[in-house]
Amino acid sequence: MSERSDGQPGLSAAGAAAGAGAGVGAGVGPRRRRRTALYSALALGLVMTAFVGVLATRKSAMDRQARSPLLGLVAPPIVGTGIVDGAPFNLSSLLGKYVLVNFFASWCIPCQQEQPQLVKFATEPGGLTAVVGVLFSDTPGPAKAFMLANGGTWPVLDDPDGQLALSYGVRGPPESYLLNPDGIVLAKFIGGVDADRLEQLVTEASSGGSSS
Amino acid sequence: MNALLGRNAVLLGLLACMAGVITLAFGLRRGEDRLLKAGRTYTWLILGAAVIAVAAMERALITHDFSLSYVAQNGGRQVPLMFTISTMWGALAGSILLWTLVLALYITAVAVKFRKRAADPLVAWATLVMFTVAAFFFALMLGPANPFTKVSGAIPLNGPGPNPLLQDHPLMVIHPPMLYAGYVGFTVPFAFAVAALVTGRLGEGWLLETRRWTLLAWGFLTVGIVLGGWWSYQVLGWGGFWAWDPVENASFLPWLTGTAFLHSVMVQERRGMLRVWNLSLLLATFSLTILGTFLTRSGVIDSVHSFTESAIGPWILTFFVAVLAVSIGLIGWRGDRLRSPGAIDSPISREGAFLANNLLFAAFAFVVLLGTVFPLLVAAINGNQITIGGPYFNEMTEPIVFCLLFLMAVAPALPWRKASPELLRQRLLIPAWAAGLTLVLCVALGLRGGWDTLACFALGAFAAAAALRQLILSTRRSMADGAGPWRGIVGRANGGMIVHLGVVVIAVAFAASAAYGVRTEFSMQPGQSESVAGHRVTFLGLHTVQHANRTSLVADVRVDGGQVYTPQISNYPADPGGGIGTPSVRSTPVDDVYLTIAIAPQKPGDPTVIGVTVQPLIMWLWVGGALMALGTLLAIAPGRRRRPVMPASAPVHDVARPDDGGRQLRLPAGTSAAVEVRGT
Repeated sequence: MSERSDGQPGLSAAGAAAGAGAGVGAGVGPRRRRRTALYSALALGLVMTAFVGVLATRKSAMDRQARSPLLGLVAPPIVGTGIVDGAPFNLSSLLGKYVLVNFFASWCIPCQQEQPQLVKFATEPGGLTAVVGVLFSDTPGPAKAFMLANGGTWPVLDDPDGQLALSYGVRGPPESYLLNPDGIVLAKFIGGVDADRLEQLVTEASSGGSSS
Repeated sequence: MNALLGRNAVLLGLLACMAGVITLAFGLRRGEDRLLKAGRTYTWLILGAAVIAVAAMERALITHDFSLSYVAQNGGRQVPLMFTISTMWGALAGSILLWTLVLALYITAVAVKFRKRAADPLVAWATLVMFTVAAFFFALMLGPANPFTKVSGAIPLNGPGPNPLLQDHPLMVIHPPMLYAGYVGFTVPFAFAVAALVTGRLGEGWLLETRRWTLLAWGFLTVGIVLGGWWSYQVLGWGGFWAWDPVENASFLPWLTGTAFLHSVMVQERRGMLRVWNLSLLLATFSLTILGTFLTRSGVIDSVHSFTESAIGPWILTFFVAVLAVSIGLIGWRGDRLRSPGAIDSPISREGAFLANNLLFAAFAFVVLLGTVFPLLVAAINGNQITIGGPYFNEMTEPIVFCLLFLMAVAPALPWRKASPELLRQRLLIPAWAAGLTLVLCVALGLRGGWDTLACFALGAFAAAAALRQLILSTRRSMADGAGPWRGIVGRANGGMIVHLGVVVIAVAFAASAAYGVRTEFSMQPGQSESVAGHRVTFLGLHTVQHANRTSLVADVRVDGGQVYTPQISNYPADPGGGIGTPSVRSTPVDDVYLTIAIAPQKPGDPTVIGVTVQPLIMWLWVGGALMALGTLLAIAPGRRRRPVMPASAPVHDVARPDDGGRQLRLPAGTSAAVEVRGT
């Protein structure tokens, strides 16, 4: 490599040193304690494989259960008029069912993406599950169009001054809260939910297992 | 239109990266210079693609093109222009776009800098590695982090704007680009490290070339981290600036390993030792940037900053695995053959101090990494949810910081190879006096606080005096040489001493604010005054201000009978989450009075609860950061040693290093090699 360096007038001293240094490095290296780097690399590789394994098996943000001061407490009441059908609604009418309170907005793409999961959860066989939608920074017009376009026949309520979002501690859509048949908050989800995971939580809770 | 342009630009960027990689790979395989030179030209295509993509995104944001879902989710007509521009790095997909642009700029800078050596296999390999990294980020933008997806269905008329915390302070505009310039900048030394391992050219040549790139990236990262602390202090309202949050740790980890490298690389340049270790540090630094990106973007760790999008996680993890596999594989394959001859003669020497420094920084990085991922590990082992908080980090890192401060004082005084006791006594006399006097003064002034606070002050004085001594000596020397006093602060060693001063200032300010901060809340009616820590705060009253993007409740608070400060709570219509508090700070070199509205009155006549935090020396944190940035710039600037003097003809004192006290007249590796080349 130093033949390329030699005789080029524009070359920097450092560039020439690359050639000279490499010659030294390749020549003298391998005599003392030959395998240190190899063994260290092997050991580090093993540790890192385990580490990556841990990282890879962690739950991702999708369907992530978040901490919330509401967990284990009675869910704040939701009373109002459904924006799609115009019928009066009260959350207490759903006592006896596992209810997912879903804060969403028509402009929110993850909300669109999670809608099929909500539909799936709302229509689980057995009729033990229900979904309630609450608007978050949105107005009834686009939200109604959103529900008609994306499916979902559950009650949807407006929250014009954000009081419901405030009482649940919602930071941004979509966020969802799973309530048990007694109206107690079992879990909070930031980002989209996954119907299978919800179903699993419902099964765990109804079989008397501890809720997280 | 914007979506089409942006998406095609991203596609073009990906194709250019791939074409570049293939061309370079063929060129390297066949040894054809023509192909290597051709491969390099794809740089311009990559830069063009990144610039067009960013321009398309900014255009969409500024013209409120809500047909892009990124704009619909993060933009808003009510957002001021400055924050509309910064919205590009306010959410996940856009931040990847910024990352790609910065990377493209670095690749271009490397291509320009090494334009005469495009056919050098080392440079070609480095370019190939950088192209590969860029290809990954372009691919991310075609896959899970696509910033140019369109909204499905009707186009919204307006969007909510970025997270209110991100449209509250101008620092948000500048802090992320700085951080990214640091983060992404480590790609360059990583690429050269891989190239050096692949080609087996572990001589000092590539090091000299990449040392400055590392320093540049390190400087940006330093500024980014300090600005992050400043932003957190100015915006978040809890009166602190560093919380060991996973996102902060993610930026701090590569900083630690990068700092270790910047020190140990001097041992390699000087003595030719620690080659494999230095390479490992560079590889680790880049790996840690990718790991940090994974931890903060995938949502596996709860953090105040985390992005709540997930599909990107497996991609980055896969990339992390690839980076690790390449790094570890190369070290394992090549490492033993490239180990350098020679050993450290005496632990009491400059190289011994650097070695200790490296062990400390490695321990520091390990402690921080362990604390960051420990909750994950515990959850994986027994399913428990635990959190690791500030106390763990503070207690574990405190002794390390003390040792580092001590080394900072001693190392510059140590000569290479072996120190004699007389020499050390002479060089450390003044710093030791400074440390002792500081300690005595602190005790005499009756400073309360634990032994650790006082120890930090004394060690800080020790290190600062040592750094100042070096600066004074080198300034005096350069004046004696007729080069002017400013020469005495330029160059690696002198710039490094200024960085050291900055570190000392930050350490002292950190310790003081932690030990002597006072935090309290007063429930006050208009006109009422309260006193805290020698300051008198008078609550004058509340009023409401209507802004385009928010409504703010403003409290007028007079501090010490002087100026009126206005902490506020702002309600953003798009975010009903209870309002965002904005602190107001009276900053002086002595202390900061930090005011917040802790609780706004619920009905007329209720008292307002004003939070008051008084912390000493806070301003010096930012001054220290500025000193570090200045020192980095001076260290990057060509010092005396790098003046274009012909080494063979220059007088000996001109090429002697300024950092060894002028006592050893040994030629640096680079110059001696140049002499040899010219001799042939």
